[in-house]
Amino acid sequence: MANIKTKKQPKKIVIESDNFSFYYGDKQAVKNINLDVYDATVTAIIGPSGCGKSTFLRSINRMNDLIPNTKIDGNLKVNGHHVYSKKTNLMNLRRHVGMVFQRPNPFPKSIFDNIAYGPRLQGIKNRNKLYEIAEESLKSAAIWDEVKDDLKKSALALSGGQQQRLCIARALATKPDILLMDEPCSALDPVATSKIEELISQLKDEYTIVIVTHNMQQAARVSDRTAFFCMGDLIEYGKTGEIFSNPKQKETEDYITGRFG
Amino acid sequence: MRDYIRTVADKSFSIMTITAVVLIILALVGILFPMISKGSKAVFFTETIEFRKMQFAKFGRGSKEEIESQAKESDEYREVVYEKLTSFSRGINSAKLIKSTRSIYRNYGKSLRYQGVEGSEYANLRRNAKRLRDHLCDAFKATDKEIISKKIAEVLDVKYSQMFAGTQIEQYFTIAKEYLEATETIDLSRKDEYTKKLKELRELLHQLLGPNPDEKTPALSMYRYGATRMDMANIALDNFLWIETWVQNGDRKSLMKVRTPRKESFAGTPIETIFDYIPQNLDKMLLPNKTIYWQYFIDDSTPGHYFGGIGPEILGTLLITAISILFAVPLGIICAAYLVECAKDNFIVRIIRISINTLAGVPSIVFGLFGLAFFVIYLFPIIGLESKSCILAASLTLAILTLPVVIRASEEAIRSVPQRYKEASLGLGAGKFSTFMRVTLPTALPGIMTGIILSISRVAGETAPILFTGAVALGPLPESILHPTRTLSYGSYDMAVGDRISQMVPHNQYGMIVSLVLLIMLLNGIAIVLRTRISKKLQQH
Repeated sequence: MANIKTKKQPKKIVIESDNFSFYYGDKQAVKNINLDVYDATVTAIIGPSGCGKSTFLRSINRMNDLIPNTKIDGNLKVNGHHVYSKKTNLMNLRRHVGMVFQRPNPFPKSIFDNIAYGPRLQGIKNRNKLYEIAEESLKSAAIWDEVKDDLKKSALALSGGQQQRLCIARALATKPDILLMDEPCSALDPVATSKIEELISQLKDEYTIVIVTHNMQQAARVSDRTAFFCMGDLIEYGKTGEIFSNPKQKETEDYITGRFG
Repeated sequence: MRDYIRTVADKSFSIMTITAVVLIILALVGILFPMISKGSKAVFFTETIEFRKMQFAKFGRGSKEEIESQAKESDEYREVVYEKLTSFSRGINSAKLIKSTRSIYRNYGKSLRYQGVEGSEYANLRRNAKRLRDHLCDAFKATDKEIISKKIAEVLDVKYSQMFAGTQIEQYFTIAKEYLEATETIDLSRKDEYTKKLKELRELLHQLLGPNPDEKTPALSMYRYGATRMDMANIALDNFLWIETWVQNGDRKSLMKVRTPRKESFAGTPIETIFDYIPQNLDKMLLPNKTIYWQYFIDDSTPGHYFGGIGPEILGTLLITAISILFAVPLGIICAAYLVECAKDNFIVRIIRISINTLAGVPSIVFGLFGLAFFVIYLFPIIGLESKSCILAASLTLAILTLPVVIRASEEAIRSVPQRYKEASLGLGAGKFSTFMRVTLPTALPGIMTGIILSISRVAGETAPILFTGAVALGPLPESILHPTRTLSYGSYDMAVGDRISQMVPHNQYGMIVSLVLLIMLLNGIAIVLRTRISKKLQQH
């Protein structure tokens, strides 16, 4: 059931999950996932609460390492490198796989310092260079016009939607290949949500985006491909249009039509 | 009915809370107000000419001419008192008179021999001089006025004045005349009693006006000046004017304090008038002047804190506090970071936590002894330092004392940094260490500052830990951190247990304590302002 292979795609595979499992203690939260994420697409992961979709997403840049007593099984590759290999440089991995979290989490610093955080970690000290990067990232995140006059202002003074776009800009400033988004709009109002969605569709040409969402309309609107998770299993994975119009599995259909979950 | 009870309970609760707050405020006012009002007298008081003399001699303050002219002015009024006392003492102090008479005779004899006077003349002069001397001594010893006048008359015989004209013996005639005058007014039967009382009187006058003109400059600086402050002058005057005795009225009754005027014991003597003269002319003798002695906070003091300020104490307190904070804060933050970020919940970590909590409850004197045993006696010789108490040892001891406070506050602060900040930082490719340094620590800083504020108050005020490790009551300014220092806390302790010093300079003792309170408040104020600025920066602008 988990081995659903879609038609061969001309696009490059960026994230490759091969029989990947994740355990919290003894509990298997993610079960034998086989899933390929393609370059320059938006992949949505949907599913009911507690189905392991966030856990899977956070495994891709190993954010789950913070949680004690976890273990994994199987393989997970990003750009052909094993994520859970001992040789993996975590900092390098996370630089290439940026993440946007559920709640906007800007640092309690100025807007500029927030954006410059990643580049500074990479050793860029030149202020002009940092400013260039900040401008570029803020423009990419479609927030430049709103904040360009007061980059020194505290990031916490921004509205929730602005904060989330700032976080996206901050993630973009490290020049990642992949952007993981963990329910980026769940804490935002509809207007802010639509702005973020707009932004996602702008970004998808340059970045590979994996987005976890509760909101099926959102998945339908922004994603090219959709994966449906249930109870830690990958039930169905395919092009978004197909999943929503013509689901192959009964669980998927039930979930999409709102019969459960 | 239940509603009614609820209302009553609510009201009594609010009344109780308000009462508690009021009680706390009253207690604070009750403790602080008398302390501050007494302590402020160290800086705001009425100085006397003696204070100005002392300030000029010790610290070179004020102009010499002005002080000299003022001293001249006050001496005019003082001399009246001293003259009366001198002439009175001439009449009664037999022992002293006899001594000086004998020494004049001896000197005369010596000078005769030096001049090479011939045998017979020499014997004659010597015999007559001796006769004069004996007459005078008899007169001094006698209490009967007739005998005295007879003996003095013999001394004042014209033949002697011719014989000894131009020699040292001439002094005898002046002495004889003065003595005769003095004895005419004094009850000679009470001569010994007067001698004793006069001595006491001179000591009391010393406390008020400084050394008598015929005295040598005392070796101790605290005896070189009279009352330097008007409040002390009034106490000295009171002692001068009144005799306090404890009298038991009947069997099995408690002692009662009785005050009698000192004037009564000198009734009928020529010096009776000075007991009215001094109170009337005290201002002219002391030239009081309201002053703000701000140099109190920078001046060194004479031994025993009798004069001067508390500059070295303040400096020492600041040094010890700063150095111990310098040791305690980084160590405390590292410990807290370990406990929050790295430590797993196992047996050893639990033991560490228990140890930290226990450390916070250990009496401070135990830390003092530990500091002495570990740093001064054990560690210093090993690392090649001299095994003696010093600022470094005191600071290290205090750092250990305050470590639990810093660790606990920092632990709380670091723990309360939202996980999402750390996630964001890690998600951007930061390592654990850079996340801690760049995100966790700055965000936790206001909380850590609270711990620092608490430990500053603790460190600056502690006495017991520095008792054996680096504090001294007297001594020069420390040359380096390897020398002991004076501190405000230890200084106040020393004055409190010192021999009567706190009674003699109460303003100084309270001044020191109030300065300590103010210093801690100042340090805390700075830290609180810093904390507010940091947390404002962290929050929205």
